[in-house]
Amino acid sequence: MKGIIEFLEQETRLASFMRIVFSILCVLVIWQLVATVVTNRLLLVPPADVAVALWKETLDGSMWTNAVATVTAVVTSFIVSVIIGIAIGLGLASSRLLSLMGGPALSALNSVPIIALAPLFVAWLGLGFASKFVLVLLVAVFPVVVTTEAGLRATDKPLIEAARSFNATPWQIFTTVTFPYALPFIVSGIRVSWARALVGIVVAEFFGSFAGFGFAILSASQTFDTARVLGYVFVLGAMGLLGSVAFATLERRLAPWRQE
Amino acid sequence: MTALLRVEGVSKLFDRKGKPSVEALRDINLSINEGEFVSIVGASGSGKSTLLRIIDGLLAPTKGEVLVDGQRVTRPGRDRAMVFQQDSLLPWKSVIENVAYGLTLAGRPWAEASAVAQRFVTMTGLAGFESHYPHQLSGGMRQRVNVARALAVDPRILLLDEPFAALDAQTREIMQSELLSIWRESRKTVLLITHQIDEAVFLSDRVIVFSARPGSVRQEVKVDLPRPRELTLKRDPRFVRLVDDIWQLIEAEVRQGLKAG
Repeated sequence: MKGIIEFLEQETRLASFMRIVFSILCVLVIWQLVATVVTNRLLLVPPADVAVALWKETLDGSMWTNAVATVTAVVTSFIVSVIIGIAIGLGLASSRLLSLMGGPALSALNSVPIIALAPLFVAWLGLGFASKFVLVLLVAVFPVVVTTEAGLRATDKPLIEAARSFNATPWQIFTTVTFPYALPFIVSGIRVSWARALVGIVVAEFFGSFAGFGFAILSASQTFDTARVLGYVFVLGAMGLLGSVAFATLERRLAPWRQE
Repeated sequence: MTALLRVEGVSKLFDRKGKPSVEALRDINLSINEGEFVSIVGASGSGKSTLLRIIDGLLAPTKGEVLVDGQRVTRPGRDRAMVFQQDSLLPWKSVIENVAYGLTLAGRPWAEASAVAQRFVTMTGLAGFESHYPHQLSGGMRQRVNVARALAVDPRILLLDEPFAALDAQTREIMQSELLSIWRESRKTVLLITHQIDEAVFLSDRVIVFSARPGSVRQEVKVDLPRPRELTLKRDPRFVRLVDDIWQLIEAEVRQGLKAG
């Protein structure tokens, strides 16, 4: 037992992979156990049934159709929101005036549950890509804005002073000091953004679409096909986990000095 | 001898919102010759760091001016380079990249910059650590990188802002004697700020004693101990007496600072 703990505590790639595998296994085991107690298959289905449902979806091609719809929408608007988020963050960090004037408006917008506006967006932009795009953009952009501004402002003053002392121009200070310093902050914002983008896309698809994981979940639940519902939730979970691990790794790569 | 660096009547006031401004420096006059090693010692709050920043061109004086070779200083320039206290190295750049930093900012191509940097990496005893990152180095090694980075841009005047303050006592001693040999080798004009009297006496040709609040020159002490100096000099009675004399000059202020603190 002690040996296992020591192995899992290691900072190797294998150990961190095994940590993920272990925790997924735990969930599956508990799920299986609960499913033997709760026998009403409308409420809960065991993992094996979910796997079968997923397999069927893959075979009849609806998995592919839904994946294309969801992934294209979420990835494009995620990328656009990262770009816009960094741009706004740069603006806020470089101009005191902009930060003072735009800051309150942005934090007000950020505290509005934008998800709740989903029906409105569908009414404005119709069913399909456009409404999904805008909704995801609005929920995913804020973490990047906030962390970009915070990261750029957090730069150690001695580093900037040293650069100035070597005659650096403001642009050189930005490219060699402030931006590299802010980069890990920005990536941590992007990581949060990805998780929020996934929530955004599902809600957008609940309200306005004819394809996508959110649409599939909604239609499956309307026919009480719990296995299919959980199958798609599982796929979404995998997407979230993948993004989270990837961005966390990137963050560590960019700022190895923070760990020590 | 002609003075390479002249500080003429420099005063500095810091404005504070809604409160009376703070007088950090009052009417400082200094003159440092080419190749000289001069230290400024003083209690904390004596504005010595502020003066160094004014000389470097990072801060503008409220009154007076700084002249390097007769030219008025208005901003940081190629003729001066500053060695900062700990943690002014870029954490995402390796040792060689940090040392070459000033050169790359000046637009020198990497091949040239890294070749120059390599020379100073070797001179400061960092050979073998070129591709290490600052967080992988000890405090003493990091300060070597800091010194090498300043030397690499080939300044005429090296400004050191309490470069060894964050190091432990033993490392500090070693770094002091290394700094002396680097100085002998590079023949730079050096102005060092420190609160360590023995460090100032050991390294310098002249020690300028500052008094605090506002910072002003209290006295100038000539150190006519023979060179080259070894660490054993610190046990020489002449050395001990000099350190003691300077301590007498600033002791009262240090005590006052403690009470005000």
